[in-house]
Amino acid sequence: MSIIKTVDVKKWFGDFQALKGISMEVSEGEVLVICGPSGSGKSTFIRCINRLEQHQEGEIVVDGIELTNDLKNIEAIRSEVGMVFQSFNLFPHLTVMQNITLAPIWVRKKSRSESEEKAMELLERVGIPEQAQKFPGQLSGGQQQRVAIARALAMEPKIMLFDEPTSALDPEMIKEVLDAMKELAESGMTMIVVTHEMGFAKEVADRVMLFDDGLMVEENTPKEFFDNPKNERTKLFLSQIL
Amino acid sequence: MLGKVLKNFDIRTFWRDVRFLKWAGQVLFLVLFAYSLVLFVQTGINNLQSTNIPFSFDFLGDPPGVSIAEGFETLPDSGLRMLHVGMFNMIRIMIGGIIVATIFGTLLGIARLSSNWIVEKAATALLEVVRNVPLLVQILFFQAFLLAFPRLEERDRGEITFHVSSKGIAYPWPERQESAFMFFGFLLLTIYLARRVFKWRVSLLEKEGRDTNPFLWSFLTFLVLTFGNWVGGYKLMGIIGLISGYISIVFDSIPSIAYQVLFSVIAVFFAFRYIRKQIRNTDTGEIRGILSDDDYFRIILSGVVAVFVVLFMFMPLGQNLTYFLEGDELFYKSNWGIPQFFDGVAKKFDFNISGPPVIMSYPEIIQAGTTKFTRYSPDLGKVTTVGYFATWFGVTLYTAIFISEVVRSGIMAISKGQSEAGLSLGLRRRSLLRLIILPQAFRVMLPPMGNQYLNLAKNTSLGVAVAYPEVVAVGQTLYNQEGQTLPVFLVWMIFYCSISLSISSIINYYNRKMKIVER
Amino acid sequence: MIRDNKFFIENPYGRWVRDNLFSSSSSAFLTFFAGFMVIYSYRGIVGFILNPERMWTSVTYNMKLYMILAYPDEAMIRVWLSVGLALLLGGLSIGFYNSGKTISLGGIFQKLFTISAVIALLIALAPTNTNVIQNDGSIEVVEIIPQDVRMLILGPSLVLTLAFFFLKNIKIKSLFNTAKVNLTYCGLIIASLYFIKIPTISLDSSGERIIPDPFLPIASTTYIPWTILYVGMLIFFFIGSLLKNRDIKIMARLIPIGWFLCPLFIFSWIFKKPLVELNTVFSADIPSILVFGIIGFLIIRFSDNQSLGAYRTPINIGFLVLSVVVFLLPVVFIFKATMVLLLLLLVVSPAIATTKEGKRQLFIVWVVSLFVLTFLIRGASSDTMLVTPTGSIFGGFSLTWLLAIFGTYASFPLGLALALGRTSTLPVIRIICTGIIEIVRSVPYITWLFFASVMLTVFLPSGVEFNLIIRVLILTAFFSGAYFAEYIRGGLQSIPKGQYEAANAIGMNPFQRIFLVIVPQALRAIIPTLVGSVITSFKDSSLVAIIGLFDILRIGTSVIPAQSQPVAFIGRNLEQLVFLSFFFWVFTFVFSRRSMKFEKRLGLGER
Repeated sequence: MSIIKTVDVKKWFGDFQALKGISMEVSEGEVLVICGPSGSGKSTFIRCINRLEQHQEGEIVVDGIELTNDLKNIEAIRSEVGMVFQSFNLFPHLTVMQNITLAPIWVRKKSRSESEEKAMELLERVGIPEQAQKFPGQLSGGQQQRVAIARALAMEPKIMLFDEPTSALDPEMIKEVLDAMKELAESGMTMIVVTHEMGFAKEVADRVMLFDDGLMVEENTPKEFFDNPKNERTKLFLSQIL
Repeated sequence: MLGKVLKNFDIRTFWRDVRFLKWAGQVLFLVLFAYSLVLFVQTGINNLQSTNIPFSFDFLGDPPGVSIAEGFETLPDSGLRMLHVGMFNMIRIMIGGIIVATIFGTLLGIARLSSNWIVEKAATALLEVVRNVPLLVQILFFQAFLLAFPRLEERDRGEITFHVSSKGIAYPWPERQESAFMFFGFLLLTIYLARRVFKWRVSLLEKEGRDTNPFLWSFLTFLVLTFGNWVGGYKLMGIIGLISGYISIVFDSIPSIAYQVLFSVIAVFFAFRYIRKQIRNTDTGEIRGILSDDDYFRIILSGVVAVFVVLFMFMPLGQNLTYFLEGDELFYKSNWGIPQFFDGVAKKFDFNISGPPVIMSYPEIIQAGTTKFTRYSPDLGKVTTVGYFATWFGVTLYTAIFISEVVRSGIMAISKGQSEAGLSLGLRRRSLLRLIILPQAFRVMLPPMGNQYLNLAKNTSLGVAVAYPEVVAVGQTLYNQEGQTLPVFLVWMIFYCSISLSISSIINYYNRKMKIVER
Repeated sequence: MIRDNKFFIENPYGRWVRDNLFSSSSSAFLTFFAGFMVIYSYRGIVGFILNPERMWTSVTYNMKLYMILAYPDEAMIRVWLSVGLALLLGGLSIGFYNSGKTISLGGIFQKLFTISAVIALLIALAPTNTNVIQNDGSIEVVEIIPQDVRMLILGPSLVLTLAFFFLKNIKIKSLFNTAKVNLTYCGLIIASLYFIKIPTISLDSSGERIIPDPFLPIASTTYIPWTILYVGMLIFFFIGSLLKNRDIKIMARLIPIGWFLCPLFIFSWIFKKPLVELNTVFSADIPSILVFGIIGFLIIRFSDNQSLGAYRTPINIGFLVLSVVVFLLPVVFIFKATMVLLLLLLVVSPAIATTKEGKRQLFIVWVVSLFVLTFLIRGASSDTMLVTPTGSIFGGFSLTWLLAIFGTYASFPLGLALALGRTSTLPVIRIICTGIIEIVRSVPYITWLFFASVMLTVFLPSGVEFNLIIRVLILTAFFSGAYFAEYIRGGLQSIPKGQYEAANAIGMNPFQRIFLVIVPQALRAIIPTLVGSVITSFKDSSLVAIIGLFDILRIGTSVIPAQSQPVAFIGRNLEQLVFLSFFFWVFTFVFSRRSMKFEKRLGLGER
């Protein structure tokens, strides 16, 4: 059963068409990796799923709820979808603990003690329980990104979106973030990951997609995608990146 | 188009539709704002009607019955004329202040960055003193300081070159003659021509590859033309006067209805064009085919403005405006219409005017009328009154201090890497500052500099505390005389808003120009 | 010559002179030129101040007038209490926020050396004579510092300079806390009040003034209160240090709250001596506290009740509507204010009152704030029992600080609202807020003050009349609110777009996004600017002198120069203006320096 379904999604920025009709489905528990050259619309696409960008034509249905202008639907979808950004976007004026508990307390209206307990659990899961009382500015990039993952997980989402989570990191920190994501994938979370980390795609993904120029040019299992690409564009992309 | 707007609009859940919520909130806000504004104004009008002094602008036309201490006219014949004198006095201080404050502030800012210990410390001390004392206290201090000088006595009478007393400071000044306007008009033309000659010689140099002495050529052109100008060449400018005279006659014959229709047509035309552009233009709308909130708002606003302009033009108030443009004598005896303006120009630029453009004039201390008092002659030399000096000096010094901060931080913002680059090219310290740092710092400094000019313009209003008749002081005199507080306040508001707008648009113009250069 | 001289290369002092004064020929010229200018101006200023024409007793004699105008003598204790409250809080804060920075004995002597060297230099450079312009225009030369007087001061200061010069090189390990050292300096100043003698105006038995003014010690009504306040400040400093050592966290919240409430408390109770009738207290205040206390208790008790969770939004909206209705009804002000507070409680309680401990603490906070609110409003809304000839108990410096502080209090929320409106994505709200801000800002403050003084009453419904101070405060709130709005907008625009997106992505609604994520960061980024604009509004408050309020400036420019009894100070403007400049300068300079240091320590202004 598919948890995300999009039909012919199109989006323009002024005269520039960023998405030229994307149709796809993601089933529950699946890990989908989207790759492609920069400017190919992959980030725009996953931001549309969360309505950080507004699509202009087509349909997006998340967990049976259609994404429209209806405020109730938007709120419902946002609370089911967690998101991790390229530049972390942690709140610098709050401690790590406050960053994670902010949404559960104010949006989910949970009690502080319950949220803090849950936050500690999540921090342990991403491997940095000792940093709870520090401010984001005192952490390394990798640690910050793991806090961002914990913050998204605190809302107990059904789906997690990752928008190039490792692009802003130093090479030695990439692994710790990828490990956290791998652990998350093994626990059965539905994930859509925009990334250039082909190793991660090979190892963890159930499916890999290639975006180019606002279109999805190839969709395949990782093994087929890397070993036996069908499309010329995919071959070119793989030859450039590997 | 409507279909796209209403896409996915479900009538059953409209109250939680994002678009509906946005617009409903804005309309609610607008209604509340307009309601409270109307309530406020209504109360004001009611209260005014219950007093003996109903709201009216009549005082602008009536003789004010008081004199002004200084200005181009000390006995104005109408309220509006009196306000003009005040405005002119304010602008006088503002322009003088801006020029001096910029120069002095820049020097001070550079002094603050000096490697010379004593210069740096002296500049910093001056900054810390002036910045931390309220401007009003400073202005009052300068006033008291001048007032502490001896009074003018009978024994002082006679011609002088420089004199300071409790009445002010008197010094020689080149006095403008009848032909000055024509002379300066010709001077502008000369500067333009000299520039053209310079460019022409430079292009010749580039083309032929030999030294064409562009600087010498343009300088000689300037010298020759200015000499000719001085001995009577300015008479050529009389042609401007001739043309202006004809323009004046043309404008005089246009009936007021023509202005009303013209303005209405212009408003409707531009609104129509603007709306069409908004709908057609897919570049500006963030979302293709669907107009954003801002687009809708712009369309509605421009339509409303157009309708409002048309209505306004055919209301009595709008008609007054056209009287103003027409230069109707009825308009508060202002004589400030378009035909009057061109008529004035025609009189200033006349073929028959002759004589030197400026003559040096020396001040004189004379008997005041037939009284036993002594004063400076108002017509000879230049006399800076105590009020003018205190206001101008206070405002200028205060602004210069803030400008020095702007300059300093502007240079600091550029300095580091750029000066290293410059030094590595072998530039010396001074040429480094002049060629590399200042031109770049100027770009950073421009917006905050504009802010300081705005502050200076507003601070001139403190002249009211030292009885300098600028627009606020004059307005206060007027409403004490006539009781029309609210109209005077509206005049103040319009005046200061337009001053602010003009300063910021000049700054914005240069800012944009700078940015184009950058590319 | 200087470049090659050995002394200027090897000796550190010589090297300093070479690098900073004579690095090039143009620099040498600048040194001589600027040095000449500085010395010349300094001698001019000293000549101006010590000129026999100046009558500085006109300042010292009127010091009380400057500070409090016509505040009744029998209520002077209230003035001292107001000052004392601020000083005690200051002592507590210094103790609690003590950075623990230390200075060595050598460092202290280094500073003392600099000071005494500067004094010696200044004395040496001071002019012997000054010019007095006679009424007939001729200039007379008058001796102001005789040689023996100069030697009398120069000798000891030179000896001290030498002594400190040698002492500063002594390496003693012991370190002193800077805060304590500074407090000791304050103590020395207080102690000097007991010994110093200043020229004082005194009248002989027939009521004639004795000329020249005899040197008399400072009045006991001045130094005794200051001594008591200083001792109190010291005690509170040690209490603050103790609290810091015990690591009592709650003080970090209580002290800022204390600073916020202190002016309100001074205004409504200490300075005012309000007329409070017991039956209004029993019939209105106590029942209102009880009722609201119980309502608050119920809210806190049921805030995490699961079965009520579904009804939370309707309850919140109901309370919002109710408080708007109450605000429009003609009920006592206390009731309206408490209603607003209740709304706040309703919003925050689900986040805080989740455990038993949290509930207990929130309830305590609620009851305390109820009491404080009622207490302050009761004081402020009652009439004063003090009678002054000028009709207002505020005048002089007390009016100046009232305008500055309350102007800031009122304009800050307004500025925040306008800034949020101006950065809004909703065009109607944005245009209206932009219009308000731009119009208010483009017209000078003084015209708004004229508006307050002669025009505002016209726009108020008949029957509503505010006194001039309140009207000025209303307009000041608008004026500095518009300026605040621009600064806050700068802060809002410095927040990266990602912060908005992150807040959206975790499902916050617009209000939560603005008040939990964006505004706290924006304010933190612009605290230095905000401090600067508070200083500006302190300076600007002097403008009210023009519209006839008796603030400190107006006393100096029109009250004192018109005094003829018991001593004639007619026309003594210059002295007053010099004093006022110095007075404002000390306040703004010290405040801006202190706040700069404080910001650095808190690490504010940096993201």
